[in-house]
Amino acid sequence: MYVRPSTEQIIEGACRELDEQVLPLLDAGSPASVLVQQMVQLLRGCAVRAAHEIAWMHEETAAIVEAVAGIDDDATAAALAAYRAAPAGGLHLDEVAHRYDLASQALGAAVEAAYRSGDVAQQESLRALLRARSANEMAVVGALELVGRG
Amino acid sequence: MLHPSEMPARLAAFLAAEVPGAGEVAVHSYEVMTGGYSRLLARAEVSWRAGGDEQRRTFVLRGDPPPERTLIFTDRRTEFEVVRAMAANGVLTPDAHHFDDGGRLATPTILLDFSPATSLLVDLAGRVAPVELTRPLAEAAASFHRIPLTELPARLERPASAEAYLTDRIDEWRRTAAAHVEALPILQYVAAWLDAHRPAPVPLSLIHGDFQSSNLMVTADDRIVVLDWELAQIGDPREDLGYFKAVAQAAPPDLIGLDESAFCTRYNELMGFSDEQVNPAVIAYFLILGVIGTVRRLLEAGAAFSRGENTSLNAVFNARNVMFGQSMWLQFSEQLEQAFAAAKEA
Repeated sequence: MYVRPSTEQIIEGACRELDEQVLPLLDAGSPASVLVQQMVQLLRGCAVRAAHEIAWMHEETAAIVEAVAGIDDDATAAALAAYRAAPAGGLHLDEVAHRYDLASQALGAAVEAAYRSGDVAQQESLRALLRARSANEMAVVGALELVGRG
Repeated sequence: MLHPSEMPARLAAFLAAEVPGAGEVAVHSYEVMTGGYSRLLARAEVSWRAGGDEQRRTFVLRGDPPPERTLIFTDRRTEFEVVRAMAANGVLTPDAHHFDDGGRLATPTILLDFSPATSLLVDLAGRVAPVELTRPLAEAAASFHRIPLTELPARLERPASAEAYLTDRIDEWRRTAAAHVEALPILQYVAAWLDAHRPAPVPLSLIHGDFQSSNLMVTADDRIVVLDWELAQIGDPREDLGYFKAVAQAAPPDLIGLDESAFCTRYNELMGFSDEQVNPAVIAYFLILGVIGTVRRLLEAGAAFSRGENTSLNAVFNARNVMFGQSMWLQFSEQLEQAFAAAKEA
């Protein structure tokens, strides 16, 4: 299959056209103008996701599984077991997203357990995973512009 | 409101029936307004004759979008009653005059006074010293936080106690996580963290629920007008302060943060609270806690889109705010932990 230009480049190109060719034709502040600005921001996020999301989910999943593996908590252990029981290896988006979702459930349970037990070191190591996750999400969001408000 | 071309005739018939003694009702203009996040907005210039005199009014109509375009399901009648209670208790807000359940205006709608005040966002864009509005902001918040619960509409739910309310609000993070279409461990982190760092309680009061710059206006003499009461409920008043600060992180300036000491002093003075009950650290705690109502609604709307139950792109666009929010929750919770630890050592 043809992979050049990349999905990211094509979406970025579409955004540029919307910004430069379509937006100037619309009344500033009109519902149509607001909608186009929102679409541009969403599409830019889609471009970033197209380029990175499978790798990011894969990396985050591996880090989560490693971090929660030794945690002595029933809910965490059950979530981890569900993750390990899921089919491994598929690289289609839905397959990766499913494994990521299962690992994320284990992370949520582990965080609750760390605060219940008062284990500060564990709290910090799990929070580092959340920070990494948030950094990826912020790369998708980009510059948050609250268009259409006020 | 769903069909703007029909609205002048519908509105004229509605006012003719609603306003006692009104005759010769005319709708001179009807303009759809932008700026409403979850509701349809329009501005109408109307006139009628009553007792031989001509009355001219400008109304803002605030109505529900069609269900498949609805981001947040809230009740217009409750909002109508809340606005009436606010205006009756001296809160600076455009009063509500009429309510229609949708039978005559095609969708549940409130008719409010049009406010000649300036949008706070517009004012701030041209203001040299925004800190001038820090104290007026404290006064605006206190103006509705200090209204006795007995003055509020009976249809607003009364939590059993301030502590029970806080517990329920923290659990709302967990419930939101459990109900979402994908696992969001950040929500469980926030719940666990909030539980571990509860502040000193304050009495329950009315909270606005969406207290942010885009729902505020400024009068010529620098008083703050509060708009959009659809998310009002009874809760912990500090949620509104934290919520304001939270939104201001994404859309500066943070009027509270410009002079937090002046804000807290004025607010506590008006509310009768101690420095322990409201201080910058407590506001930062509520910066996290206070957004859960909005976070839940944004995520519900995003989830509905992903299930194909909602076609509004706005739902996806606004769900991005949660991603911005979570970076802030992490940052503030870490800073607060350090502050709490330092205070403990001292």
